[in-house]
Amino acid sequence: MHNSKAHIWFIAPAIILMIIILIFPLFLAGGISFTDYNLGNKTFEWVGLENYDKMFNRKTYVKMIWATATYVIVVVPISVVLGLCAAMLLNSLRFGADIYKTIFFLPVMATLLAMAIAWEFTLHPTLGIVNSFLANGCGGIREFILGFHWLPWVDSQESWYAVACANNMDFPYWLKQKNTAIWTVCFIGIWQAFGFNMVLYLAGLTSIPRELYQAAEMDGAKSTWEQFKLVTWPMLGPTTLFVVTITTIRTFQVFDTIEILTKGGPSKTTYVMMYAIFEKAIQQNLTSIGAAITVVFIGFILVLTFFQRYVIEKRVHY
Amino acid sequence: MEAKQYIGEGWKHAILIIGAIVVMLPFYMMVSMSLKSQQEIQSISGGLIGAQETQTFPVCVKTGYSEETCTMKPYQYNYWFAFEKAPIPRYLMNGVIVTLSIFIIQVLVALPCAYALAKLRFYGREFVFSMVLFCLLIPVHGIALPLYVMLAQAGLVDTYSALILPWTISVFGIFLMRQFFMTVPDELIDAARMDGMGEYAIVWKVMLPTAIPALLAFAIFSVVAHWNDYFWPRMVITGNRDLFTPPLGIREFRGGIDSDEFGPMMASIVTVTVPLIVAFIIAQKRFIEGITLTGMK
Repeated sequence: MHNSKAHIWFIAPAIILMIIILIFPLFLAGGISFTDYNLGNKTFEWVGLENYDKMFNRKTYVKMIWATATYVIVVVPISVVLGLCAAMLLNSLRFGADIYKTIFFLPVMATLLAMAIAWEFTLHPTLGIVNSFLANGCGGIREFILGFHWLPWVDSQESWYAVACANNMDFPYWLKQKNTAIWTVCFIGIWQAFGFNMVLYLAGLTSIPRELYQAAEMDGAKSTWEQFKLVTWPMLGPTTLFVVTITTIRTFQVFDTIEILTKGGPSKTTYVMMYAIFEKAIQQNLTSIGAAITVVFIGFILVLTFFQRYVIEKRVHY
Repeated sequence: MEAKQYIGEGWKHAILIIGAIVVMLPFYMMVSMSLKSQQEIQSISGGLIGAQETQTFPVCVKTGYSEETCTMKPYQYNYWFAFEKAPIPRYLMNGVIVTLSIFIIQVLVALPCAYALAKLRFYGREFVFSMVLFCLLIPVHGIALPLYVMLAQAGLVDTYSALILPWTISVFGIFLMRQFFMTVPDELIDAARMDGMGEYAIVWKVMLPTAIPALLAFAIFSVVAHWNDYFWPRMVITGNRDLFTPPLGIREFRGGIDSDEFGPMMASIVTVTVPLIVAFIIAQKRFIEGITLTGMK
């Protein structure tokens, strides 16, 4: 047994930094959110809950909550399900799985900001290949498939695709239109996130013992779907829980794509929380309201993680 | 193999190929635009690389270069002009300085702490460890605003310190290293003590070498995260171009989507994005391991 005091020197830097960089700011944000402090002011006054009152009653902030909620609720489930599907498909391939894995993982690696700009051009109404692809497909198979003409209840003259073709190739300006901007940003979010989930699921899948599938088959679970229900899905429980939590936390923090592509617009439909904090506190120097948003944001994240750690974790472990 | 299985395999590939095309779209667009001339970009013609006809570029002439200098093939022009317009090497340098400093300080702080938490017995150890566990819950981007206020009060906005300081503590690194050190046998440390090694020497000469695989994964995790980070530099670097990290540089190149030439702009973006992607493709396994590190706890 050693009896030096070395441990103090080992842990002191970490403790000091944790307190200054991680814990103190929590209290600072809480404190500022009850004042009217703006950066650069010499004095401030306590204003109680005024900032929070604004947040839940002013249209802008209500829209902010909506935009954030929409983004998270759309991106998390879709990117998790896509990640799972991709992992299962790759896992069942005879050859070529590694190539797909590399490709699907590229968006996770690449600088998101650069890719956001690349998407901006890809989706651009006059320069982008997406809209030119659509325009060239008018009257053809692309219109049939993407206009959902194969669905019995879709009128082939009235589908969004047919209407756009009829109106001189009036395809959406994806990132600038009120009714498409948030979905386009969500799409980019999913595009970026699903490869990460796929890799986690691939790791989860390899840890499922083969014997379980044989046992399931003996019990009469012959079809792929039955085996999935009986073995794969329950065995992936912990992975799923983890994937959902980490994706949710990352998704909450979306900023890069919003700042470069929409700036929260059009009419605040993509005004997510991280962007709101940045815009209010940094660009408009409204520090106190930014602090209030920060507190609510941190609140969301802490509740989510606690929920994961202490409530669900107990249930998913078989 | 039965015919039915071939068909099944075929279907899977068909689905995956469509997925791969959608995933690759922006990469294709990016590379293609960085190679083609403005006219080809605007008329969406020329496929991936365009016709590559030697021509004189008017924007270049307007900037003050001689016509002779401005006559070349589009791909040459795009990349040459990108480097003429912006100090790209400087941005890349900044990226290297910032990510490396962050990683080195993170290790200097985390490694001894992780060793103490894993292998030394002292009063308050459990408390310190629960503090680490609590801090794991705090997303640093989430507390960016109070951190910014603190840095502004200290007069550190627009400095390298502002880019580096908030990331010097990686509780995740501490946690990861501690879990790793728990698996190192006590005998190894006892033997080192018998040899007369002090605790400092043990950390850097015994523990560090055993932790290389975990450190490597953590290095990739840390470097990728901070190389790509845009939010934090955007907060604390307001106008000083000398401090721009690659993502801030990318933002600057973009300018107005309707005003500038797109070729040189995309060339700069490709230049900044490529180092990491190439590194990824070379050391794919390690990268995936490092980035999904958070998934292995």
